[in-house]
Parts: sequence; structure tokens; C-alpha cells
Amino acid sequence: MKLWGMPILLSVITIIGLLLAIMGLGIWHLLSWVFLSYPVYVMIRYGINYFR
Amino acid sequence: MINQVGMKAKTIKKWFEVHKWTSLICTVFLLMLCLTGLPLIFYEEIDHLLGKELEMPAAAPGSKPLSKDVVLEAGVSTLPVKAVKYVSWDVKEHPGQMFVVVADSAEAPIEADHYLTMNEYSGKVMDTPPNEMDFMLVMYYLHVEMLAGLPGKLFLGFMGFLFFVAIVSGVVLYGPIMKRFDFGMIRTEKSSRLKWLDLHNLLGIVTLAWASVVGLTGVINTLVDPALERWKASQLAEMVAGYKDQPRVTGTLSSLDAAVKRAKAAAPEMEVSFVAYPGTVYSSKYHYAVYLIGNTPLTSRIIKPALIDAKTGELTDMRDLPWYLKTIFISQPFHFGDYGGMPMKVLWAIFDLATIMVLISGIYLWIARRKSKSAQLKRIIETSESLTLSTVGDDAAEK
Repeated sequence: MKLWGMPILLSVITIIGLLLAIMGLGIWHLLSWVFLSYPVYVMIRYGINYFR
Repeated sequence: MINQVGMKAKTIKKWFEVHKWTSLICTVFLLMLCLTGLPLIFYEEIDHLLGKELEMPAAAPGSKPLSKDVVLEAGVSTLPVKAVKYVSWDVKEHPGQMFVVVADSAEAPIEADHYLTMNEYSGKVMDTPPNEMDFMLVMYYLHVEMLAGLPGKLFLGFMGFLFFVAIVSGVVLYGPIMKRFDFGMIRTEKSSRLKWLDLHNLLGIVTLAWASVVGLTGVINTLVDPALERWKASQLAEMVAGYKDQPRVTGTLSSLDAAVKRAKAAAPEMEVSFVAYPGTVYSSKYHYAVYLIGNTPLTSRIIKPALIDAKTGELTDMRDLPWYLKTIFISQPFHFGDYGGMPMKVLWAIFDLATIMVLISGIYLWIARRKSKSAQLKRIIETSESLTLSTVGDDAAEK
């Protein structure tokens, strides 16, 4: 779980984010943006170490 | 025990080879796809910036759009060519506008098409967009078919498939590489190759789901031409079977306005997306093909054609598309990223850039690895538990 926990979490969140926006407008779009922002946050949060 | 471990080292090596070769073959094309795809995410916005967006004069309050026949005739009369091919609408983005494609004949090739944008309230021509390649169209055709028609399209589909295999094999390799490390670690103190490997792994695993979805839906999209051919030969042919021996419809056609109304009456919850005229590739020789779409984000991707007899104006048949065309149309938004407003487009662009980084770091790792051959593989195997360098050596010796 230490190994695959994050990859699974990120994939599930991305897929939910992709599906939310097709379900409807308004709140659905907003939730989709929140969900899809999480993997982007993770990329920045850890990717920043590359420049350290 | 040693034997088991040996199997594992062999398995890792196999997956490594799969990852290396599928990536090597598809990376250049994937880079092209990511780069051309980037501006395509913002197609509408860029068109707007380039001044292509038309100002729609406000219609007088209470005024109604003119009959579609009147608007169409007003447009066609301004051109020397007389055969209408397609008429389309975009109720959400461009209400009150009617987009017309005309040519010398319904069978004329795309290159000979003329475009008209009509104001449905005044019946005036708003614009006559030239039928020529501009920057965005070049990006589009590079992305879709490398300017090489159907073979180019199918080739890119195959590259997309290899990309997906590369993703899967990459995930398999992620296991043994990351086994002893925390998620997201980047070893900056070590060699720059390790640093790049860690970045490759981080961005690769974070974009895993997005790249898989966009990759696979892209592959599905490359099959649209054969799918349409199959549909025309089977379902469409069945729908017009009663007209088989009739000559192509000639003379004055029945009313477009009535055809649209007739189709809408048969599917009241849907909107008309476009009408294909008799003789065009999207219709029969005797019918208006009225293509209806739903009005929610999901159902607007599901197209339903109604065939209207272009002489009598009667509804001949209306059917749902077969599953394979439905699959293609429903998969499209998940490739385009155009269904969640501007924030989604920005997120799409970030994922696209991250994928570019995965591709570039992958190429770098391949070049760097060639310099210190097989060191990387050894390390992957080393990292996987209860393995020593000597067993890898034995393993190699066995071969």
C-alpha cells in the first residue's frame, strides 16, 4: 500500500474528475476542477524537489 | 528460491524491453501529438484572438429568425455555385447563425467547398470564410493525420496503442523501482540520470490515468472513418432500402425548414446539429439527413440521424447510431477536454505539458543509459527485494 497507495488514489481521483464534468454543469464542473487539480498539485508538490 | 527470484529478474527485464521499444517507436509521434494538441485545446479561444469570431448584431426585440429556406437562398444566391452540401447550427456557442457549405455539386471534393455564415434574423451573409489552411487547421491536420489522410490517421492510432502499452509497462516497472522509496522522491544529490529517472517516474505515475484516457480515446477516434463507412454500408443502406432503384433526386427539393421541423417533431427533446443534403457522403441520394443531438453535456455527443425524403418532405426513418459510432462520439470529449469550461482546458494543458516532460525525460534516460549500459536495469533488479547483483549475473550467464 505504501508503494501503490498514491498511484491508485491519483488515478481514481483523475477518473472521477474526468467523469464529473460530463455529468452536468455548474457544481459538477466545479467539483471536476477540484478533483483534477489534485494530481496537478501533487506534481508541483513533489516535482519542485527536482530544482532543489 | 533462487530460481523464483531469477524468474522475477527475467520478468522485469522483459517488461523493461517492452517499455523501451514501445516508447522508442512512439515517442517522436507522441511529442508531435502533444505539441500540436496544445493549441488545439484552445481552438475557439485562439480563433477568437485571431479575430475570426463574428460579432452577432442584436436582433430587434421580439423578432423571430427567418425561414431557413429564405436564409439559405439569400446566401446561395451570392455565390456562382449552386449545390448545397451541408447546413449546420451551433445553438450554444453561436445562436442565430447558420453555417452553410456549398459547392458545384453534392459530390464535389472538400477542396472545392465554399463556406457561408448567415444571420438567421436578417438573412444577411455575415462571413465567407476562405477554404484554405490556416495555422490552426495545419495543427489540426498534423494532429489528426500528419497531413497524410486515412493512412496517416490509422498510423497515429497505432502509435497511440504503442503509447498505451508503454504506459502499462511503465507502471509495471514503477513497482520494482519504487519499492524501497517513498512516493515522489527525487534523488537530487545523486547523478543527474537518477534525478531524471525520478522525475520521469513521478510525472509518469501522476499523469497515468489522464494519459491513458486521452491516449485510448485518441486511438478510438482514429477509427471514425472505417466506422462511418461500415455504418453507411449497413444501417444507412437499410434505412433507404425502399429507395434503392430510384434515380437521384433532382429539381426543386422539399423545404429545408419543414425537414428540420419534421425531424424535431419526431425527437422533441433533441436539437438539430446539421443537415446533410442528398448525394453528400453523410446522406443518401434521396434524403435530407437531419442529425439531431441531445441538449445535456453527455447527450449532446449522441447523434441521431433522421432521413427526410427530399421530394415529399416525409420522414423515411430515424434510428439510433450503432454502438461503435456511439462509442466514438462519446469518447471524443474525453480526448478534447472541451466539456468542462476554461479551467478544465487549463488543467488539460498542464497534463499535456507534464506528458511532454515524461516523453523528453524518457528520451534522455534512453540516451544516458546507452552510455552506462544495463546499469539502470541492474539497479531496478537490485532494488527489487532479496536480489543481489550476483544472481543477476548468474541469470545472465544462464542465457
